[in-house]
Amino acid sequence: MTPDSELSRGPGPAATPPAIAVDQGGRVRLRERETYKTLFVNPWTYTTGAVVLALLNVVLLLATGKAWGVTTSLTYWGAWAWRWLGGQPQHWRYFAEIKPAFNRPGFDFLADAGSLTNVGIVLGALLAALLANQFRVKKLKAKRQIVAAVAGGLLMGFGARLAFGCNIGAMFTAIPALSLHGWVFLVSIFAGAAVGSRLLLRYFV
Amino acid sequence: MSERILDCLGEACPIPLIRTQKALVDLAVGDVLVVQVDHSCAVKNVPEWASKVGHNYEVDEIDDGQWEIVIEKVH
Repeated sequence: MTPDSELSRGPGPAATPPAIAVDQGGRVRLRERETYKTLFVNPWTYTTGAVVLALLNVVLLLATGKAWGVTTSLTYWGAWAWRWLGGQPQHWRYFAEIKPAFNRPGFDFLADAGSLTNVGIVLGALLAALLANQFRVKKLKAKRQIVAAVAGGLLMGFGARLAFGCNIGAMFTAIPALSLHGWVFLVSIFAGAAVGSRLLLRYFV
Repeated sequence: MSERILDCLGEACPIPLIRTQKALVDLAVGDVLVVQVDHSCAVKNVPEWASKVGHNYEVDEIDDGQWEIVIEKVH
């Protein structure tokens, strides 16, 4: 049992900070340095994250001519998989009318900036976990988690197609572009999250 | 004074926080709750909540990507 005095109150440092690891030359190890911890280990503030995301979106828009989106490319992945299995998604009205880029000659995974940024998200998340020394293969504890992941993924994917985007393309990118649909999406996602929170509290806590 | 373990391994936000809040209700003042988590956001929002409502806490890194948040019920 820990004595009271060893627990810190509030955001202040613990009463007994861990000894700082030093290498044989007596220097503080890279991972123990405050700068390293601030950049790679401790969570950034929401403001820092928001500003960095906004700047990166500007860079992406300048570099590719398209701002950030996620789920449209996931739809392409699904359609490419369906085509590989013998389907003919190129005839779908969605790709003929809404996303004609899909049927453009030479359009593939490497030509789609969204596909590349999606892979970048996964690789970047892996890199961040490794830099923070927090990489861990987690075990699934309950079948309920699998059911929730699959059902949640299907619902979100279906909803993203109905809304022509997810919280990235239809909100984070749409609102700064002064598109009205971004605001409609924002209000709708709050309503959806309110219902979703109730379900979460009821079935998963 | 007693100590209780709350296993939240494998659970994502906001489940560890909500379970912590529920578990603390049943504890007596002075009791200690050890919340086991492997979700990095929980290491941020559980201590933030504990700090906001005035409980003492400490975060121990048990392993890569796994922590124990030790919370002492103050009031």
